[in-house]
Amino acid sequence: MTDDVLVVDSLVRRFGDLTAVDGVSFRIAPGETYGLLGPNGAGKTTTISMVAGLIAADEGTVTVAGQPMTPRTTGPKRHLGLVPQELAIYPDLTGRENLALFGRLQGLRGAALRGRVEEVLSLIGLADRAKDRSKEYSGGMKRRLNIGIGLLNRPTLLILDEPTVGVDPQSRHAILESVEALSGEGMAVLYTTHYMEEAERLCDRIGIIDSGRLQAEGTRDELVRLIGGVDTIRLGGTGDLAGAADELRRIPGVERVETERRSAVLTVKDAPALVAQVVGTAAAHGVTLADVEISRPDLESVFLHLTGKGLRD
Amino acid sequence: MRNALTIAGVELRLFLRDRSNLFFVFVFPLLLVLMIGLQFGEGATTGRVAVSGGDSALATGIVRELETDDVRVSRPAWDDALELLARGRLDVAVRVDDAAATAHDDGGPVRLEMVRGSAANAQVVEQDVRSAVDVLRARRGQERALEAYGVVADRVDDALSQAARATSVPVLEVRYVDELSKEFEGLGQFDLGASGQLLLFVFLACLTGSATLIQARRLGVVARVLAGPVSAGQLVAGEMVGRWAIGVFQGGYIMLASSVLFGVGWGSLWLSLLVLVIFSLVAAGTAILLGTLLGTEGAASGAGVGLGLVLAALGGCMVPLEIFPDTMRAISRITPHAWAYEAFADIQRRDGDFLDVLPQLGVLAAMALALAALGGWALRRSLARAM
Repeated sequence: MTDDVLVVDSLVRRFGDLTAVDGVSFRIAPGETYGLLGPNGAGKTTTISMVAGLIAADEGTVTVAGQPMTPRTTGPKRHLGLVPQELAIYPDLTGRENLALFGRLQGLRGAALRGRVEEVLSLIGLADRAKDRSKEYSGGMKRRLNIGIGLLNRPTLLILDEPTVGVDPQSRHAILESVEALSGEGMAVLYTTHYMEEAERLCDRIGIIDSGRLQAEGTRDELVRLIGGVDTIRLGGTGDLAGAADELRRIPGVERVETERRSAVLTVKDAPALVAQVVGTAAAHGVTLADVEISRPDLESVFLHLTGKGLRD
Repeated sequence: MRNALTIAGVELRLFLRDRSNLFFVFVFPLLLVLMIGLQFGEGATTGRVAVSGGDSALATGIVRELETDDVRVSRPAWDDALELLARGRLDVAVRVDDAAATAHDDGGPVRLEMVRGSAANAQVVEQDVRSAVDVLRARRGQERALEAYGVVADRVDDALSQAARATSVPVLEVRYVDELSKEFEGLGQFDLGASGQLLLFVFLACLTGSATLIQARRLGVVARVLAGPVSAGQLVAGEMVGRWAIGVFQGGYIMLASSVLFGVGWGSLWLSLLVLVIFSLVAAGTAILLGTLLGTEGAASGAGVGLGLVLAALGGCMVPLEIFPDTMRAISRITPHAWAYEAFADIQRRDGDFLDVLPQLGVLAAMALALAALGGWALRRSLARAM
């Protein structure tokens, strides 16, 4: 028995000769936001489809709130809220009608249904447009409605499949804030994206998936450490950079210094903590600095390191 | 069951909400019933005759006799009558001039000018006019004969009425001897068109509704529904019931409206409704099958209309099955329309009861079960494609 809301164990799914998901395992605890980060075609949506009980796994198991999930089971689906990548709403129904329909299918009835629909309408900021047909909504409003439907049953586990694809920056910001708020209320969130910034901002833990396999998993810092990631400080300027290099190498935390005619690149363990000392040392050796640039390894670097390709390839 | 009904309710709501459906669901079927009734029904039972000329006993008598036979009679001037005839608004025009009126009053030979139109039933209407004139001439001959034997004029009517009562009038019973005439015996003006259009539009409404299934799959709504506590079986049942409800709604509307507006007789109402219910299930199964086999809403709408029209034409909804050649009549039996057409024919024309239409209902039910099972199976398979 586990307290984890979602336990995914050794999932495999094949489509003919293609193995779309190949032995994927991960867990999500209550209140945790778990990101599945990978490029298009990596196996994120297929994994989610198995987690949501839409398609059967060829091998492996999915357990939601302690109950095994398969396409034939409906019990664990009561704990689940799915926000698919597509705008899975009826364009000819109003916002309120869409919510009422899916609420009914979740088992809500009567006053409880009406009350919850109004709550969600307020939550997603569509109360004043509830009577309009959803095809008349802006793209961002449709996205909000799409998310709202996933929240109707107050799910224990909310699955968001690339919810910000094709969304304007303002709506994206609103969506990310909503996810942060939901997670803060104790909801477990499974979030797929190929946007590195979103994964870094939202996710407590991240699974990097490519070619159907989970390549690595952990917090952002754990992933960076996993690839031996180090920071770099690049100094640009004039003066005796080569002479300053020896002094710079003596600073604790500086692992390597490479100089060229008008620049020096330092490999360090913690660039923000060392940058002031590095700049001071260079200046003390008569170097006139024109620019200082700090680079820290990000998930893009991790992904590149693990898979040999970029996230948006 | 609740989930299935919820899904079915949405299908019906979306169908009624689509404004483009308003004309095709509520207006177009009745227009076709009206057109077919006017073309094939009216001319066979009544005619339109103009009687021109001044007031006279002969003209008045002709009008009276024709109206007794349910012929519509007007009294325009002769030139106007000829123009109406040329425009096809009359079947026959008769001119009763002064000479003819006087000759009739005198009991002499009457010459009338009569012009017949080109409508298919104009010949029959011409015969109606000839019969009316013959009746008047016979009557006038009888009056003249009595007067010649000294019966005073104001007692002639009494004498003729007394003679009529004392005479055994031969009863002429007309029996249709050819099969085709027998088939349409007792059929009202709009009855044939109404049942044919009902079958055509029920099937079309269901089939064009298959586009919404494709749309739901494409939009990911199907996946979202199945991610909730809804089984695939409930979803299939909901989609099926939704389309069935659309068919029953469309058919029920045509039955009600054609009955109220055109006086169409549907025979035993519960039996006609039973045919509609089972036929709609066949249409729903076909719609589900179409919605799963095709990939786009446009293809589904186009194929739905095409298939609906072809099956309706083959099944006797456009041209009556009774005038099909034997080979085509045999081929028509592959369509549910032909079986439903025959069931309605039994109920509407021959006061058929449940046992009379049991064979047709049985075949339709078998078709419905087979198509529902096939459609359900195909939909379940297509759900995997939707993920």
